[in-house]
Amino acid sequence: MQLWMLKSARLMKVNKSQWAALLFIGLVQSALSVAAQANLTNTTGEQSSCYLKGLSEKVLCGMVTVPENPNKPNARNIDIHYAILPAIKNQHPSEAFVAIAGGPGQSAIDNAAGFNRTFSKIRETRDILLIDQRGTGRSNILNCEFDNIDALAFNDETVDNQKETQKCLSDLSKKADVTQYSSDIAVSDFEAVRKALGYQKFHLYGISYGSRMAQLYMRHYTQSLATVTLDGVVPMQQSVLAIGEAIDRSVELLFQDCRQSKACDQAFPELKRDYLTTSKRLHDQPYQGKVNDPSTGEPTHLLLTKSKFLGTIRMGLYSSNIRSLLPYAIHQANKGNYQSILGLYSITQSGLDLAMGMHASVVCGEDLPRLTPELKAKADASYFGRSLLQVIEQTCPVWNMPAVKASFSHAIDSAIPTLLLSGELDPATPPSWGHLAEEKLTHAKHFIAPYATHGVALQSCGNKLVAQLVNEGNVDKLDDKCLKKDLRRSFYLNASSVEPLPAKAKE
Amino acid sequence: MMKLLNTLLKKELVDAIRDKRSVMAVMYYAIGSPLLMCGIFFMLINKFSSPSDLNITIKKSQNAPDLVRYLESRGITHGTGEDLKAITLTISHDFAKDMNQGKPATVTLIADNSEQKLKSSINRVQRALQGYSSEMASLRLIARGINPAVVQPIKVVMEDQATKQSKGSFIFGVAILSIIYAVFICGMNHAIDTSAGERERNSLTLLLSHPLSTRQIVLSKVLAVTTLAMTGLLLTLLVSKAAYTIVPWQELGFTINVSFEFVVLGCLLALPIAIMASTLQLFVSFFAKSFKEAQTYISFTLFVPMMLSIATSYDLAPDTLQWLPVSGQQQALMDFIKGKAIDMAPLMASNLITLLLSIGLILGMEKALKSEKTIFGL
Amino acid sequence: MIEVKHLSKRIGDVQALDDLSFKALNGQITGLLGPNGAGKTTCLRTLFGLLQPDDGVAEIDGIDVRKDPIAAKQQLGLFPDPFGLYERLTPREYISYFAELSGLSKAQAKDATERAIQMLKLDDIADRRCKGFSQGQRMKTALAQAIVHQPTNVILDEPTRGLDVMSTRLLRSNLQQLKEQGHCVLFSSHVMQEVAALCDQVIVMAKGKVVAVGSPEKLCEMAGETSLEEAFIKLIGSDEGIAA
Repeated sequence: MQLWMLKSARLMKVNKSQWAALLFIGLVQSALSVAAQANLTNTTGEQSSCYLKGLSEKVLCGMVTVPENPNKPNARNIDIHYAILPAIKNQHPSEAFVAIAGGPGQSAIDNAAGFNRTFSKIRETRDILLIDQRGTGRSNILNCEFDNIDALAFNDETVDNQKETQKCLSDLSKKADVTQYSSDIAVSDFEAVRKALGYQKFHLYGISYGSRMAQLYMRHYTQSLATVTLDGVVPMQQSVLAIGEAIDRSVELLFQDCRQSKACDQAFPELKRDYLTTSKRLHDQPYQGKVNDPSTGEPTHLLLTKSKFLGTIRMGLYSSNIRSLLPYAIHQANKGNYQSILGLYSITQSGLDLAMGMHASVVCGEDLPRLTPELKAKADASYFGRSLLQVIEQTCPVWNMPAVKASFSHAIDSAIPTLLLSGELDPATPPSWGHLAEEKLTHAKHFIAPYATHGVALQSCGNKLVAQLVNEGNVDKLDDKCLKKDLRRSFYLNASSVEPLPAKAKE
Repeated sequence: MMKLLNTLLKKELVDAIRDKRSVMAVMYYAIGSPLLMCGIFFMLINKFSSPSDLNITIKKSQNAPDLVRYLESRGITHGTGEDLKAITLTISHDFAKDMNQGKPATVTLIADNSEQKLKSSINRVQRALQGYSSEMASLRLIARGINPAVVQPIKVVMEDQATKQSKGSFIFGVAILSIIYAVFICGMNHAIDTSAGERERNSLTLLLSHPLSTRQIVLSKVLAVTTLAMTGLLLTLLVSKAAYTIVPWQELGFTINVSFEFVVLGCLLALPIAIMASTLQLFVSFFAKSFKEAQTYISFTLFVPMMLSIATSYDLAPDTLQWLPVSGQQQALMDFIKGKAIDMAPLMASNLITLLLSIGLILGMEKALKSEKTIFGL
Repeated sequence: MIEVKHLSKRIGDVQALDDLSFKALNGQITGLLGPNGAGKTTCLRTLFGLLQPDDGVAEIDGIDVRKDPIAAKQQLGLFPDPFGLYERLTPREYISYFAELSGLSKAQAKDATERAIQMLKLDDIADRRCKGFSQGQRMKTALAQAIVHQPTNVILDEPTRGLDVMSTRLLRSNLQQLKEQGHCVLFSSHVMQEVAALCDQVIVMAKGKVVAVGSPEKLCEMAGETSLEEAFIKLIGSDEGIAA
């Protein structure tokens, strides 16, 4: 109970797709290497009861075996694992609610607890089905094993990405052909699972990168879907490499919010300047000093680069409760006190569990090839966009993914009832992306939650809207009133409190 | 022997079916009891679940606006009007001051914890306050450069063996009780009618004057009453199967589903109980001087199986009860529902005891029907 | 033929039967006459094995009721007092039910029932439930039940009690008919006229004993009285419990 926030902070990050991981290639190895292969032994086609991380109850696990390469059905097979959180009172046995995880590279099954909590209302009458997309979680995970490094002391700006990528690829080539881990092929796995389990219709919920999967599902298997929710929308027309702009926008909104809050503005009147000067200072000269390790408490060495500093801020923007600590952390950093940044940095280290190989397969095949000169220019204009692109441009030539066809970028043209959710404060998928995805959807509603970050259903009342859509089967009666309720959290004014002292407040 | 038994049984059944009271007893119970149970479950569900929007009184909310908004995001708001719960949260005057100094800031929760209806709502407010406190604790640690994981030295991973059904085992116990009880209620009226009633109407001596053995007479009556009891049970099961689907179990986090398999098993396991109930009721009624007296005696006998059944529902002394009649079979049914393997030894023992008891009572009745005292109600 | 030999039975403090012996022959109507409490009903119940005598033997067609009750009872038909109808059954169901209980097969029972209905002219009410029947209709149903299986012996317990004149006459003619068919008819009564009008043989009982046996005429003779009533009072030694 005491550590609820810790858990929630982790979940939020885990639940939300983090394109950020790209930035962290060569940085989060120690966390990634822990990602374990499924500890389940199971025979094909059979279901058995199992326990999932964070869920105390027994649920059903199973798998469906598919060829890794659809054009070579007799070559290597891989097992697509799934988990069913059985409906409490199954009133719609022919339907399932499918939550698709983000990343790319997150395991849906590992996030069962979060999905279970968020969609408890839906589970009252329908099964929740979680499928580990090929290359993630238990389904032939493509993760990269790196040597253990000291995350605090090492210099992330001097990592040889190309070398690390090469090493990862040669490790993975023993068990996988990485070119077969594209979104399009993965969607056909989902359809195979649907058929194997005998569901007639799916209700899809795709978050972040999962929204791309959901849209591809709409494109390829229209008949199999009853409703779709796209949350933190990545439109088909958009290469995700435009994310730099979105991060900058979100950082700017943080400054704005602080300025509009009387207490925050009083405490940190020059927040943006603090941010810029700290970045500049760390850019010129990374901070080096003795600190106590945030986890072990042992005295150790910290090397704080600009990239680590900004990466930490960026990660903090994903969840609204951590976001509330950022103005204080930035202000203190500018004064030379990096304790809060250190604390934030340490929790970003433990929260990531992306399958980096699968992540690379998707981004290198589906996003880098669609990078137009215009988009590249835009990306280069932003620090975040620029550094991201740098890593990717080093990684992808090694990965050598075939590029998707031009038609991949066509907007989804569909009459399936679709709910699109965007968070105004989202540091990854801004509301404008949701507008793009809406273009050719004839039965769709797009709601923008003014106080939500990435993943609207996981905060605010977005989950209730999803439940309503699933139950009613159309978007007609959906209403965004509840999203507009101002339930914003106050910013931390010091290391202890969000509430200003009464005496000060009266001034 | 068989032919006569058949004739006797047929007449008993025709007689029973034409007896409005006997038929009503079956119908009332078979239809009424599942509906009544559903009604009770509806009420329970309403009582135990906290409303999605919980209105309480929050005093001095200006001292902690962030906390108030946090509570609101969890559906707990300051409100007025009808659905206001008798829960008051007062935020201390020094809340902000204590917060800023890193000291525990006080909020006071005023409510009557003994009030069942409020319990879930009080828990919910407490959980929300805990949640806020934990979140803040974690962020305070982060702000000081400490990973909050260090204050969670032990992570307890709970692997709950419960199944969807076993979560509702108490409610299921009550439901099974009401179903098993059908065999006691549904045959009762005919049991009295065909024994004390038969004597009261003077047809008993006529029957005994015919070339029959008393065993044939007793067996035919036992079979007839058992048939009625089992018909009542089957109807109760079928009505329950239909009625229980309406109850919004999902709001309690489990479901009670009367499956086809359960209907079959229920009938099988209740058969010995039905035989025992019939023989017991006939036995008691044969010793009563009149219909009315028989009714009184039988209501005394209903008490015992009721107690056994309730004790089983509450899971009192299961090790002893599983060997006894009624509770043994009920235990087996509950195990089946929970998806547990049925422990055959106690079930068989319980069935055996049930049947031995029945045989004893049948022999007793045979003897009684040869006794002048019983025949003429002396 | 019905024969009792030295029957004794004590119920509570009362010696209900006291060394009772008599015989009722086939083709005769035998009346068991006695005041209330004389032991008539006790005697009849003993014949059906409902009561066990302390001493003595009851035989139906030579079969000891105690030794083989089933066989003995198969030769008996009982017209009880009260009738003991099943109100929810129709006379047809009621009659055929007891016919089957008396050992007839289903088909035989059906035919026999039809015969009995014809004989007692029950057609109009045969398929109505007994509830609400008049006393006469009840009597006819009960009588049909007693004779449906054509027993050698028919026993009637206070058969005319509560009957109106028409029903009584009907009953009498039916009993006559049974007698002509060669049945042994034994009935108990405390009504003089009835006994005088019907019986070939009268057994007068008092305090569990046979006081006198003979035809009505013979009894008058024995007592030296002209009317049976006077003879009866004289025979039992009091006028206690006698209805005119």
